[in-house]
Amino acid sequence: MNVLELKDVTKKYGSFTAVENVSLELEPGKVLSLLGPSGCGKTTTLRIIAGFAVPDGGTVQIAGEDVGQLKPYERNVGLLFQDYALFPHMTVAQNVAYGMRYRGAPAAAIPSRIKQMLSLVQLGGMEARYPNQLSGGQQQRVALARALATDPKVVLLDEPLSALDAKLRLELRIELKEILRSVGATTIVVTHDQEEALSLGDEVVIMHAGGIVQRGAPTQIYQSPANKFVAEFVGRSNWFQVIRSGQSVAGFTSYITSDGVEIRAKSPPSGYNGGSDLCVRPEHIELIDSAAPEALRGAEHNSMTGVVLDVASLGPDVHVVVELPGKARVLAIRKNAGRIQGLAPGQCVRAVFSAADVLVF
Amino acid sequence: MKSARYKLLLLLPAVAVFVLFLVFPILIVLNESFHTFEPGRIGSVEGGPLTLANYAELFQPVYGQYFAQTYVLAICSSAVSIVFAFPIAYCIARAEFAWMQKASISAIVGLMFLSSLVRVYALELTFGSTGVLAPLMSIMDINTNSRLYINFVILAGLLQYCIPMSILILIGAIKNLNPRLTEAALSLGAPALAAHLTVTIPLSIRGIVSAFLVSMTLGVSAFVIPLILGRGRILFISNLIYSRFSEIANYPSGAAISIVMMVLALLLILVMSRLATSLERA
Repeated sequence: MNVLELKDVTKKYGSFTAVENVSLELEPGKVLSLLGPSGCGKTTTLRIIAGFAVPDGGTVQIAGEDVGQLKPYERNVGLLFQDYALFPHMTVAQNVAYGMRYRGAPAAAIPSRIKQMLSLVQLGGMEARYPNQLSGGQQQRVALARALATDPKVVLLDEPLSALDAKLRLELRIELKEILRSVGATTIVVTHDQEEALSLGDEVVIMHAGGIVQRGAPTQIYQSPANKFVAEFVGRSNWFQVIRSGQSVAGFTSYITSDGVEIRAKSPPSGYNGGSDLCVRPEHIELIDSAAPEALRGAEHNSMTGVVLDVASLGPDVHVVVELPGKARVLAIRKNAGRIQGLAPGQCVRAVFSAADVLVF
Repeated sequence: MKSARYKLLLLLPAVAVFVLFLVFPILIVLNESFHTFEPGRIGSVEGGPLTLANYAELFQPVYGQYFAQTYVLAICSSAVSIVFAFPIAYCIARAEFAWMQKASISAIVGLMFLSSLVRVYALELTFGSTGVLAPLMSIMDINTNSRLYINFVILAGLLQYCIPMSILILIGAIKNLNPRLTEAALSLGAPALAAHLTVTIPLSIRGIVSAFLVSMTLGVSAFVIPLILGRGRILFISNLIYSRFSEIANYPSGAAISIVMMVLALLLILVMSRLATSLERA
C-alpha cells in the first residue's frame, strides 16, 4: 500500500496557480525527489502534504487516511526545514524531545529515545548544547533527529543541504541517505539542486509550472528526458535548432541546424513534426585529432571538425569548448586521466558523437 | 584618535539639553523633597532644616492605598493589554499580504493620535453614572458608583492606550521571529496554542517585556484618565502629586512622592529585564 497518495491536487493563490493536478504516490521506505526551478510548485506541494497549505482541489492521503482537512499537528509528518528551524531557547535534547511529548510517547521512554536518535545522527553527548553552540552541519543533524524522533509516516526534506558549504554537503548527503535508509523512512526531498535530487532519490519527479513533467529513476531522467525542459534543466547539454530535416537512412535522419551544421540523429516517430531541437550531452562528444582518418564516419555517427576555444580543467573533468563550422559552439567534457593530451585553444580537433546519443525534441 | 574626540563633541548639545532640562530640575525636586513644609506657605521653608519627614509620611497606610491603586491598575492594564495585543500583533505580523499589514499599522497609529480628552469623555458618556449605558447597568444590577465599577472604567481607559502601543511593539518582536519555528512546532505535533506557548511566546519575551514596561509607564503616569473617570473617588499618584503641588502648594511632599515613583519605576525596569533574561533561557 502507498504511504502517501496525492490525487489531482491543485492550489491557487489568487489568479496564480501554484500547483495544478499533481498526482503522486509513494511506497513505504522509498525516497522521492521533487526537482524543479523556483516557482515550479514543489514547495507548495510540500506544504500541502505537511498541512500548511490547504489544496483547492484533489485529495491527499497518508497511510490510507484522507488528511485533507487535518491540521499540521494532526498528521504524523516529519519536516526538515531548509534553515533547520531549531528552537533556539531549547537544548539539543529538548529540541529532539519536543515532538515526542505531543505524539504520545510515554515520558519514561523519552530519554532513551533521545539518546538513540542522537547516536543515529552521531551527536551523542551533545544533549545539553544550545543550537547556537553547534556548527551548521550539526544543527542539520539535530533537525533531522528531531524530525525522525516521532517516527513519522512521511518525512519531508526541504532543500536539506542547501545551507551547507560544498564539501560538507557531499558528506552529509551520503550520511543523510544512510540514515533515511536505516530507519526506513518514506521520504520526499524537495530541491532545486539536481545533484541533491538525483543522488538522494530512488525516483525523481521533475516539476515545471505547477505540474509534473516527468517521473523516473535518476538515470532515466538524465538519459531519456521527457521533453526539452527536462533535458535543459537536468545536466548540461549542447543545443542545436533544426531548420529542416533531410534524408533518413536505417532509422537515422540528417538534420540541418540553424548554424548550417548537419547532424544525424534518430528519426522522429512517424507523424511527429514538432522535432525542432537537438540535444547532445557534453560527455558524449569525443574529441580526436583532426588529422585522424574518418574511421567513425557512417550513418550512425556524427563527425565534424572544429577549433578549440577554451580548455578548463575542473579536477576530475576537463571542459573543452569547441567552435564548429557556422559558429556553433559545443561543450565537450572529457575525464582528466592525469595526462592531459595537450589540448589548447586554437587547436583543430574533430568532434565525434554517436547519432544514438542525440536527443530529438 | 583625534576624530574620535571630535565625534564626542557632537554629543555635547544633547548632553547640555539633557543636563539643563532634565537632570538639573530633578535635582531641584530631590533637594526640595528633603525640606520642611509649613502649611500656608508656597513651597518649603527657606533655609529650614533638612528632614526625612516627607518620606516617612509616605509609610502611612493612606499613601499605601494610592500606590496600590495606581500600580494594581497599571499592572492589570499592562497584563490585559499584552493578552489582547499578542494575537492581534501576531496576525498583523504574519499577514499574507503586505497591504494588510500597512493598513492595520496605519489604523493603529491613527488610533493613538486621537486626543486623550476625547476618548476619556467618550468613555464617561458611555459608561459613566449618567452615561448611555447606565440604564443597562442598573438592569444588570451593576452599581455605576461602586469603586469596583469605577476601577473597571479606568482600566478600560488605560487599555485604550496600552493595547495599540503593545500591538505596535509586539509586531516588531514577532516579525523578527522565524515563522518556520512555529511551523516546526506544529509539524512536530504541538497544537496551535501549545506551539505558541512553547515557542512563539518564549521567543518574543523581550518584546513582551518591552510592551509591558511601556504600558506600565503609561499606566502609572496616567493623569487625565483617573482624574475624569475616577470621579474624585479613585485617584492615581499623579493626581496626588498634582494636588500637592497645585492645590496645597506642599512642594516638599509632592517632590518626595515624585522621587519615590521614579525609584519604583527604575526598580521595575531592573526586575523586568532580569526576569526576561531568565525566561529566555528557561
